[in-house]
Formats: sequence, C-alpha cells, structure tokens
Amino acid sequence: MGKVKIKRKSTLIDMTAMSDVTVLLLTFFMLTSTFLQKEPVTVITPSSVSEIKVPTSNVAQVLVSPQGNVFMSVLGDADPENAEEWGSEPLRKEVLRTAAADYEKKTGKKLGITPMDLEKFAKNASFGVPLEKMHEFLMLETTKQDEFLGQTADKPVLIGSLRPKDVGIPFKDIVYKDENGTPIATNEFQIWMRAIYNSSNPNIHDAIQKGEGIAVKSDRGTKYETIHQVLDNLQTIKMNKFSVMTALKTESD
Amino acid sequence: MAQIEQSSGGKKKKGAQKKMAIHVDFTPMVDMNMLLITFFMLCTTMIKSQTLSIALPTNEKLEQTELQKAKESEAITLILDTDYDDNGNVKGNTVYYYAGKPEMELNGNEVVSSNLEVTEFLGNDGATQQGIRKILHDRNKDVLAEVEKKKQEWRDKKITEEQFQEAAKKIRNSDQYTRPVVIIKPMAGASWESVISALDEMQINQISRYQLGTLTDVDEAMVGDYKIKHAKK
Repeated sequence: MGKVKIKRKSTLIDMTAMSDVTVLLLTFFMLTSTFLQKEPVTVITPSSVSEIKVPTSNVAQVLVSPQGNVFMSVLGDADPENAEEWGSEPLRKEVLRTAAADYEKKTGKKLGITPMDLEKFAKNASFGVPLEKMHEFLMLETTKQDEFLGQTADKPVLIGSLRPKDVGIPFKDIVYKDENGTPIATNEFQIWMRAIYNSSNPNIHDAIQKGEGIAVKSDRGTKYETIHQVLDNLQTIKMNKFSVMTALKTESD
Repeated sequence: MAQIEQSSGGKKKKGAQKKMAIHVDFTPMVDMNMLLITFFMLCTTMIKSQTLSIALPTNEKLEQTELQKAKESEAITLILDTDYDDNGNVKGNTVYYYAGKPEMELNGNEVVSSNLEVTEFLGNDGATQQGIRKILHDRNKDVLAEVEKKKQEWRDKKITEEQFQEAAKKIRNSDQYTRPVVIIKPMAGASWESVISALDEMQINQISRYQLGTLTDVDEAMVGDYKIKHAKK
C-alpha cells in the first residue's frame, strides 16, 4: 500500500479580482464625491418635503449655531471662465476689502487688514469673528483658528486678545454716526451682507435678488428667538427672499 | 490571472533556463485602494441638502394693514412651542391654533375660556392626515381636491409635468376656492425644527397664503393660561 500523498497547495490568493473591484469603487467615490465643507459647528438641519437642491455657486451661507453665533461662508462663480474674476477666492478678497472699508468709514477705527490677511481669508471656507479682531484672527495658524471657532462654553479658548465672546459675527445693532452726525443703526452682519450683494460679481447679486443666493442653515433645536434676530437683520436690509437649508424628509417623518 | 503563463509545450532543451510563472502580488495594491476608498467614503456627502425658499415681508411697517385684511373666516393662527429636555434637546413640538380672531373670556385676571386648541405635528398615518395636517387639509380641501384631479390627469399622461405645475399654481392662487390664510407665530422658545415643519405643512397642503408673524399679548396670555391648566405632572 502506497501512502496517499497530500499535495501541498500554495496559499497564495489571487488578489487581482479584488483589486479590480476596489479600483472600481474608488473611481465611483472619487467621481461622485463633493467634499464636506469645514464648518465651525456641526448642525443637523430640519427636514422638509422641498426638493430644491442647494446651489453650489454664487451663494452666501449663513450658519446659525445653537449657541446663537453666526458664521458665514461665501461661494463665488463656479464657471471656470470667470474663476479669475468672480471665483470664490477673488470674491472673498473683495468682500473682506469692501466690508473692512465700510466698517472703517462708519466707525472711524482702523482695522489694519494686510494683503497677507486677504490671501489667508480667501482660503478659509467660513468666517465668524468681529471685524475688529479679524487681523489678529487671520494671523493665527489654521489649527488655532479652528480651535478658537469650535470652542464650547465649558472649554473656553483664549488666544491673544481673542475672547470666547469674539466667536461669531456680531448681529446686534450698533448706532454709528455718519459724516453729518446722523446716527445710523447697522451691524457687522449687515455690512457683510451688503458687501457680498454689492460685489462686482453680477451673478451673486442676481441670485440674492431671486432668493437663491442666501441660504440660512441652523440646527433643529436652535431656538426661534436666535434665528429671528438673524432673519430680522435680513429683512432690515431688504433681503427678504432667501432659502433655508433642510434635509430631505423621510417616510417616517 | 496574475501570473503570466509561459509556454511549457515542446521539448525541453538542454541547458534552457527553468521557466517560472511570474506572480504579481496585488495585496498591497488592494490595501492601498481600500484605504483610499475609506477616505473618500468618510469625506463625502452623498445626499446634498435641500433648500426651502422663504419670502418675508420687509421690516417697514406697511404690511400691518395688509395683515388685518385677512378675512376672519379664512384666517388661522398657529402658535408654535417646543419642550426641551434637561440637555437642551428637543422633546416635542406643540402647535396651538385658533381660527379667526383670538377669543378669550376673562374673569378678572383669570381666563375662563378661549378658542385656543392644541395639536401636534403628526404627519400621515397611511393615507389619513393627522394632527395639524388634518386641520389644514380640511380648511384647504377645495384646492387640494382640484390639485389632486390635475395630478391624476398628469399620472394618466394627459398633461405634461410643466402643465401640471402651471395648473397647480393657478389653483393655489385662485380666488374661486375658500383658501385659508395661515399666520405662523413661533414663540421665543420654539425650535427651528418646528418652524420648518410648519412651513412644510404649507407646502404639503398647497397653501399659498401664509406668513410668519409675531406673538401678541393676547396670544401669550392664552398659551400661558393653557399651560397652567394643563401642566404636565
């Protein structure tokens, strides 16, 4: 009787098929992906039956955090032909320049925004500090900036002269005096919105007029009194047509 | 597959080099791909968020008179309020509503009776409306019935989608039907979710005339009184 020889099989597994599948999946994800925008606070938007998609260009997004801080982000024209002039980065630079000039004119304070600041500002997706602290804020490293904007009440972050109260764009009315001494009530939120509206990009101007250019985003649990103040500001500057970011309602809702 | 077959047919010549199958190990490639896939999966948003458009009146106090114009029989006021748990999370949204003018009988400072009623956002139970949706649905049933007729025509492919949208818009804004005027008044503590839900109900029920209003003292008194009388134990 001869011994039955057990043939030793190689343990090599052919990975080619696996590799094929992963490459396919990878291609799919790369092509369909739109990157999550970095936001200072994460919010869960309420759901609605509306099926209008959020525009990805020519939009000013107003983010209201549950704590009542307001952040903004501006997206310029998506058309590559206009990228030089009206793309997101040139638009942001222009907006900061206009807003700073407007603020300096109204308050007589000097902000000292340098060309370096403009460059840095253009790179940031969203912003939310008072104009007075903008220069100091922009001098910080990106990680420090995120840390500052994302701070919570029980873990305050103090950097230089930046205090927890400096998070968010001020939207409470301050009375300024113009050249003739007539008091005007306005605030930085309105200054920003006007700067965006009056930018040299005509498309964002049209979009705001149509009501597609402003998207208000807030958490489900944010109290109405907080958002009401923001909406009230928009009404004051006659931007009373705007959209609200929502998630798609599911069957169970 | 991953190896290149080399012909082994024919006679082996003496001195010919031993032919080896060439294996390419794809494992590192797969590892790397998996990592990239994970990265893309985590960094992408598959569902783009939707928007709901809102038009508010200007802050100039002109529209106050316009507001009064709403016929009493058509007007319905929704007052929104929200309960929060200890962590500040939304526990539930309440809708107080009254038709026409607020009516309240006072005995000294005490509210004896009012036309305030209470419901919730309940959505649908199968095909039947519940909660506030039912109330709004009943008030706008003429319009809804007409729109439903047009929708059926569209489903039967008698009209195109554009025609349907056009017709629906006409019906929504037509004066032939009794249409409600809804005034949404969120209380200071109402959650954003409840405001959006209320605006959403307008869309669902094809209501074209609605506005966001501010609470009056009478509204506050009625809701305050209701809360005291129906305090949760």
